[in-house]
Amino acid sequence: MTPPPLLLTVNGRPRPLEGVPASERLIDTIRWRLGLKGTKDGCRTGDCGACTVLVDGVSTLSCLTLTHEVEGSSLSTIEGMAEDPVGRAVQEAFDRAGALQCGYCTPGFVVALVGLLRERGRAASVDELLADLGGNLCRCTGYLSIARAVALLQKEAP
Amino acid sequence: MIARPRPDGRAKLEGSTVFGADLDVPGMLWAALVPSPVAHGRLRSVDLSPVRALKGVVAVGAADLDALLPGSKRDPDRPIFPTNTVVYRNQPVAAVAAPTRELAHEAARAVRVDVEPLPVVSDLEEVFPEWPGSNAESSAHVAAHVRAREGDIEAVFRAAETVVRETYRTSSVHQVALEPHACLAEVKDGTWRVRTSTQTPFGTREDVASLLGVPEESVVVEGTWVGGGFGGKGAALLEPFALLLAKASGRPVRLAHGYREEFLLGRTTLPAVIRMETAVTSGRIVGRRVRLLLDVGTSLPGRDFATGYSIGFLLGPYRTPAFEIEGYAVRTNKPPFGPHRAPLAPQCAFVLESHIDHVAREAGVDPLAFRAAHLWKEGDTTPMGQPVGPFGLSAVFEKARAVAARWRAEVGPDSGVGVAVGFWSTGTGAGGEVRLRLSPTDLTVIQGEREIGSGSVLAGVASVAARSTGLPRDRISVAYEDTSRAPFDSGVFGSRTTAVLGRAVEDATRSLFDELAKRIGGAGPVRLVVDSGEIAAEQGATRRPVRALSNESERAGGGIVASGRHYGKAGSIDERKVEAGTFYPYTDFTGAAHVAEVKVDRATGTVRVTRYAAFQDVGTVIDPATAYAQVEGGVVMGLGTALTEEALWSEDGRLLNASLLDYRIPTLGEIPPIEVTLVEGFPGAGPYGAKGLGEPPIIPVPAAIAVAVRDATGAHVTELPLSSERVARALKLL
Repeated sequence: MTPPPLLLTVNGRPRPLEGVPASERLIDTIRWRLGLKGTKDGCRTGDCGACTVLVDGVSTLSCLTLTHEVEGSSLSTIEGMAEDPVGRAVQEAFDRAGALQCGYCTPGFVVALVGLLRERGRAASVDELLADLGGNLCRCTGYLSIARAVALLQKEAP
Repeated sequence: MIARPRPDGRAKLEGSTVFGADLDVPGMLWAALVPSPVAHGRLRSVDLSPVRALKGVVAVGAADLDALLPGSKRDPDRPIFPTNTVVYRNQPVAAVAAPTRELAHEAARAVRVDVEPLPVVSDLEEVFPEWPGSNAESSAHVAAHVRAREGDIEAVFRAAETVVRETYRTSSVHQVALEPHACLAEVKDGTWRVRTSTQTPFGTREDVASLLGVPEESVVVEGTWVGGGFGGKGAALLEPFALLLAKASGRPVRLAHGYREEFLLGRTTLPAVIRMETAVTSGRIVGRRVRLLLDVGTSLPGRDFATGYSIGFLLGPYRTPAFEIEGYAVRTNKPPFGPHRAPLAPQCAFVLESHIDHVAREAGVDPLAFRAAHLWKEGDTTPMGQPVGPFGLSAVFEKARAVAARWRAEVGPDSGVGVAVGFWSTGTGAGGEVRLRLSPTDLTVIQGEREIGSGSVLAGVASVAARSTGLPRDRISVAYEDTSRAPFDSGVFGSRTTAVLGRAVEDATRSLFDELAKRIGGAGPVRLVVDSGEIAAEQGATRRPVRALSNESERAGGGIVASGRHYGKAGSIDERKVEAGTFYPYTDFTGAAHVAEVKVDRATGTVRVTRYAAFQDVGTVIDPATAYAQVEGGVVMGLGTALTEEALWSEDGRLLNASLLDYRIPTLGEIPPIEVTLVEGFPGAGPYGAKGLGEPPIIPVPAAIAVAVRDATGAHVTELPLSSERVARALKLL
């Protein structure tokens, strides 16, 4: 049976997709069909957070999501973050705080944090943001510089 | 602290950095490995015919190698595919490639592997339930045996006032770099080309050439960006399979681990059983006996490095006049042992420090004063006869001790404070080379290592280049080239990268300045300055722009080029003390002292680290931001080794917790405040006296936490990790 076509809006642009099997995961659609490799493939079991994207603004693990589940949705990936003022602010804070090393978990942290700021509001407290980032794993930094980036970001929040 | 933004920061934050796992070229095939279904067995047949019937699928097995590699001289000790016996579970027995990932996995499952199971040895204590007898060396289970001694140890123990004997067990820990291994291979016109996520492009080239039996010149390795290494990406792993499939198919082939495979096939630290015996008289250590049994999986005899290196961490850094140390590398049906950030040193420090603490208590002396009285100092000789050079261990220890005293005065109920030390050496014995290219406006360091995240290449090497040439950091970039173009380097491992490539940069700077002096034609030293946006060379009162000093072909090629190299030497040990095997000397001595404050849940045995302080002997700080970051990251990785990380192997050689859910690394919510202090003034083997910094910060962590748990509760835990269950058992709750 031919799977039905589906429409996604990806980083603000409509992307009609043909022939996506019902079993295809969103992470694979993003990386291999759309060619957006900034969304990272880590564990594929929902344990590391490296594949986090926003689906209609909500932080979502693309490895545990089927592409057909999000038909018609608006998707934001790390490649779209620089076009978003909150995304840019998060990137700037991570850069200034040196909150990355190998960089493999970094897109997931940036996108997840942008999602949290949308969900909780721009004035969310550093502690609640850090508590909610607990699902993103980082093996290099020991998280302290990431916590400093969040603190830097929120001190400067309007 | 607000850091200088990393040169690789922007791209990583925008998602444009291409890691091995992101490699993607038109027409590529996806590959999968065919795993052995058992951990030990006689391989009767590997039938690839069901796979070859599938459209577009390519398969290779042992029987295809002669046709694919005509006239090759492959290393007979390391066959790419086994032909008679499989020795660990999931050992690749064939490889397949197909147009899609799904089809590749389907094809791998369709291969008929017929194996007659043989008895599996999964636990080293099954091999040697008792300490091995004198005939053990001939056992097929022994990959290496080392023994050394000094003095009449039997007499020393007989005469001692106090003798303490204990047995410790340490666990198997995984690197858990978030990016699994991944590569993409292409074979064209006799060139075996592979792009791969590796810590050692040149080491991988050598490995691939030896495994495939082809000339090294025909292999080109291009490192991709590396999503974490920690020792796990230091040798060829997937590359030979991908290259064979590329050769067989005539197409580019991508081979990447999923995370489960990363756990199952990764080469990492395996369990150890360690017997410690210490003799004390009048508050002084008079003798030590160490017996180490280290599980090395299916490491080949002659290829074990761990035993002869790590065993030294069970003697030092304490003065020990008489000793006998003996270790066996024991083969079991697991993947071969591989390095993991400071291989086995955190485990050995845990054992040594817990034991020293216990010995001091048994001898009725203060554990910290006991340590202070025995620490090696500059001018001492190690038990293995190596002179100790500038060594900041006592200095960092005294700072840690002061913090511990302050914290101990403040601790609440069920809380405690622990101090532990560790030492390491910068791996400058493995050499490397760089080229500098000076254009009219910029200086480029051309070299063959990819930045793996620590900053050792992009921040460390760039900072040394700034300091040695006098140019500002924003005029300096570090460029990567593949193994066909880059000058040789040994790899990003052993805390050596900034040290060795930095020394090579200093060497290249000297050549460059000599050349500039010659071209200016005057006398005296040369320096570089930036003048109206351009770089100029100054000699005495003469200032000439680089643009004017370079000739036409240099301007076309990007600038004036100078080469530099550094091939350092490790120290040497007193070989008269060695009775068996190979012991590896240190290059320099770098010390770390850590303080942990913990709170222990008396009902469950759960340990929470509430604050932490790390003092690190660094020689000279080269790049402050990344130096502090190395210590923070190392300490947190050590928290995992200390508290939760333990790969569990079943009796039939199965890894039971091959996922990030079941193998627990530290998460954001459990990180204590960590105070980092870098202590300068005890120079090492690197540029400007720098010492390696990648590995030392993880070493004392499990030890400091174990000592703190004992301080808090009296529980003396002799196994890693200090899981709730083990602590509860020590507290007699279970």
